[in-house]
Amino acid sequence: MIEAVAGLAPPDWPNAGDEIGAQSFGPFDSAALTRYAIVSGDDNPLHLDPAAARAAGLAGTPVHGMLMLSCFEPVIMGWRRDLFISRFSAKFLRPVLAGEGIRVLGRVLRSQGNPRPELILRLTARGPGDSLVILAEAAVLHKSVTPLG
Amino acid sequence: MTARDNARVAVPPEPGEAAPVRLPPIQVRTGAGEVAAFLRETGGIGTGDFVPLTFPFRWLTLPAIRGSILRLSGGEGFLPVHEAQSFAYERSLRADADYILDVEIQSTEKPPRLILKMTVSTVQDEICARLETILRIVRLNPETPA
Repeated sequence: MIEAVAGLAPPDWPNAGDEIGAQSFGPFDSAALTRYAIVSGDDNPLHLDPAAARAAGLAGTPVHGMLMLSCFEPVIMGWRRDLFISRFSAKFLRPVLAGEGIRVLGRVLRSQGNPRPELILRLTARGPGDSLVILAEAAVLHKSVTPLG
Repeated sequence: MTARDNARVAVPPEPGEAAPVRLPPIQVRTGAGEVAAFLRETGGIGTGDFVPLTFPFRWLTLPAIRGSILRLSGGEGFLPVHEAQSFAYERSLRADADYILDVEIQSTEKPPRLILKMTVSTVQDEICARLETILRIVRLNPETPA
């Protein structure tokens, strides 16, 4: 549990239904997957070896799910820098293959004001053909709530 | 009991499931160079001692954890595929700081999955974050044509 210190929502605290502007990432080519494998340590051959991807039933090497998930935080913090992401959960619904990109977008599902300003965000990543590839939800607090946020 | 001890109280397995595998605590560090490299490749923003939300996931690739994942996945001929991920933060991580990981891995047969639960604590025993990773185990078919 987060030690909630009473915070004050700023006057422009978002409302339910507010949109979080879409942002595009990629395309993630095989060089990008290799670089991510190096910095993350995730060198699962599924992402790097076309033969392993084919053996798993995929048409090409899939982009690391966590590489795509890493794109969500810049979207949230680019929208508002006064937030602390307290919870974030995501389901990977379909693969995005090397050479393809994603578009991350979201909206405010619920908004709570003082004394503990909190937003519940629904976020998605869409791939080629606008297909839904990641469905995510985040709980974000105004930074005034968290002593160490 | 400390906060970490409380966090490590295991949930009993469902009938027919194996008991979770609990690894010995692992000390890790958020090296500033590693954090900066991670940020460069993930389009991240932030400077100073900012550590990205998803950075702790990389610790699942440490040899002690990776070895257990591969062993529980069934070894050669099987690969883990990431199905779902969650993070719950109580406080932000800081760059160039030491942390302790507590990891528990639960395997299920139907469907074949691994559920990894990782707690990240400071060396002073304060819990910072909890991660849950769900991996689906895929059997490879080497005969699949190009």
